Amino acid sequence: MPPRPLLAEPAAPEAIDASAGLVLGLDNVPMELPLARIGSRVLAAVLDYLVLGLMMALWVMAVIAVVATLGIEGGWAVAAVLLGAFAAEYGWFALQEVLSGGRTLGKRVFGLRVVAGDGSAASVAALVVRNLVRLLDLLFGLLLMAADPLSRRLGDRLAGTVVVHQRRDGELLLTRLPRGWSVREVRVVEAFLRRAAALEPGRRRQLGERLEAWVESAAPGFLGAPSADPVSRLRRAFGAEER
Amino acid sequence: MDYSRFVALRRPLWEELEQGLERLRRHEALTYEELEALAMLYRQLLQDHAWARARYPHTGVARRLERLAVAGTGALHRDAAGDRFSPRRFLLDRFPQAVRAHLPLIGLSLALFLVMTLVGLGVAVFEPGVAVALLGPETVAGLRDGRLWTEALTTTVPPAISSSAIARNNMSVAITAWAGGLLGGVGSLWITLLNGYMLGAVLGVTLHFSLAGELLEFVAAHGPLEITLILVCAGAGLGIGRALLVAGERPRGQALQQAGREALVVLAGCLPWFLVLGAVEGLVSPSPAVPWGTKLFLGLSLQAVFLGWALGAAGRSPREAPA
Repeated sequence: MPPRPLLAEPAAPEAIDASAGLVLGLDNVPMELPLARIGSRVLAAVLDYLVLGLMMALWVMAVIAVVATLGIEGGWAVAAVLLGAFAAEYGWFALQEVLSGGRTLGKRVFGLRVVAGDGSAASVAALVVRNLVRLLDLLFGLLLMAADPLSRRLGDRLAGTVVVHQRRDGELLLTRLPRGWSVREVRVVEAFLRRAAALEPGRRRQLGERLEAWVESAAPGFLGAPSADPVSRLRRAFGAEER
Repeated sequence: MDYSRFVALRRPLWEELEQGLERLRRHEALTYEELEALAMLYRQLLQDHAWARARYPHTGVARRLERLAVAGTGALHRDAAGDRFSPRRFLLDRFPQAVRAHLPLIGLSLALFLVMTLVGLGVAVFEPGVAVALLGPETVAGLRDGRLWTEALTTTVPPAISSSAIARNNMSVAITAWAGGLLGGVGSLWITLLNGYMLGAVLGVTLHFSLAGELLEFVAAHGPLEITLILVCAGAGLGIGRALLVAGERPRGQALQQAGREALVVLAGCLPWFLVLGAVEGLVSPSPAVPWGTKLFLGLSLQAVFLGWALGAAGRSPREAPA
């Protein structure tokens, strides 16, 4: 007998994560990348440009301080400011992304990362290329991101990259299931176990006991010996492994 | 297959693959047999992933296998030679090869540049009023008095500032010419045509005021290579534009990415030269103390070194190299 639905019916698989973009990896591995859309990307970019502006201001002040302290000719200070500004304009974003695996400061804050179009880590060349065309993307990037199913700006298209949300939830693997269970039941159990730690204790216990009763009715004897903590009992019974 | 049995049977293989990938990530040396075994595990994992994705989509097992498939793809398909930068390989192979691959487009840039130089020259000669629009009334007043505006580089601006400002400006122009390829090549063409027109017009204006000799003396040390570098970057940009418009049998995205990688090599080889040229243009070109012949010799030498590097025998495959 199929288990009775405990929670609302899960949505159809294709509707579960509307922001996911289906891409094909090198071996035609279909992957649903949690694509970052225009809103989060613009917020990250605004933060990055604010930091860049602040850095430039600090750079100018630092150069002036050094020149004043050491008594260097003013021309060299202007030269340092000019070349520093150029390096920051074209190199700051690329340098951050190369050094921190596809993340600028803004992307870190908003949980984004640049990856290759096949989901693997983006190469250094790709990260440099996508940042060399920032000037053009300031003009056309928003429009392109809005129109593209994978939310790519010009730089992404040229470099073959996409920007994704980093998965914040840990990996959960159920190693045992009652015989005959389908994906829907698995999702219900996984959804509860993944969020259990974040739930208020009373609510956690209440939901845990409901889930216990549901599993017990669907697969009698599967849960094994009773336990004071329903979450521990469910974890043990399903052989849940988290990392 | 039953879920529990599937996980129990296959999980050891996933863990073995994970350990192997971790060893690759730490750049540990693997024997041929170990690498073969890893590739076999990877293929098995792809099958497992397909099964999990079909039967248990959006669950922990499907996500874990997807992560491993992505990591395995990235580790086992990576072109290690292409990903690790080797200065020697860049200098001797990659840059000359990339320039040679773009030669027809660089030639096109050069041709358009020369045509627009003639157009600019003609306009300035036959319509001297263009001088005021191009150079501004103060500069034109200076030309009437027999002074080139380039004198300011030595009299009013410290050399450090003029050199860095010139280098910065030229690098920005080169990057714009390169990146402009993404607009179907229009940006690259615009930079090429504009620079050609400006050179011709400025030459025409100085001819009108009988100062062309002074202008040619000023540009002799830095001009030839500066124009060459901008045209080479514009040619690389046109390569990007060509991939965008005429992708051929490959998917457009794939063609664009390949063109972007090749064009990046060209740009990376050109940009450092602008720092050298900035110093030359700020210090040597405007200096009355440096004789005309020395400036010309320096300009031609820089040009020869660059062209010798970009077009010389280095980087040719054995079949290409002369016998």
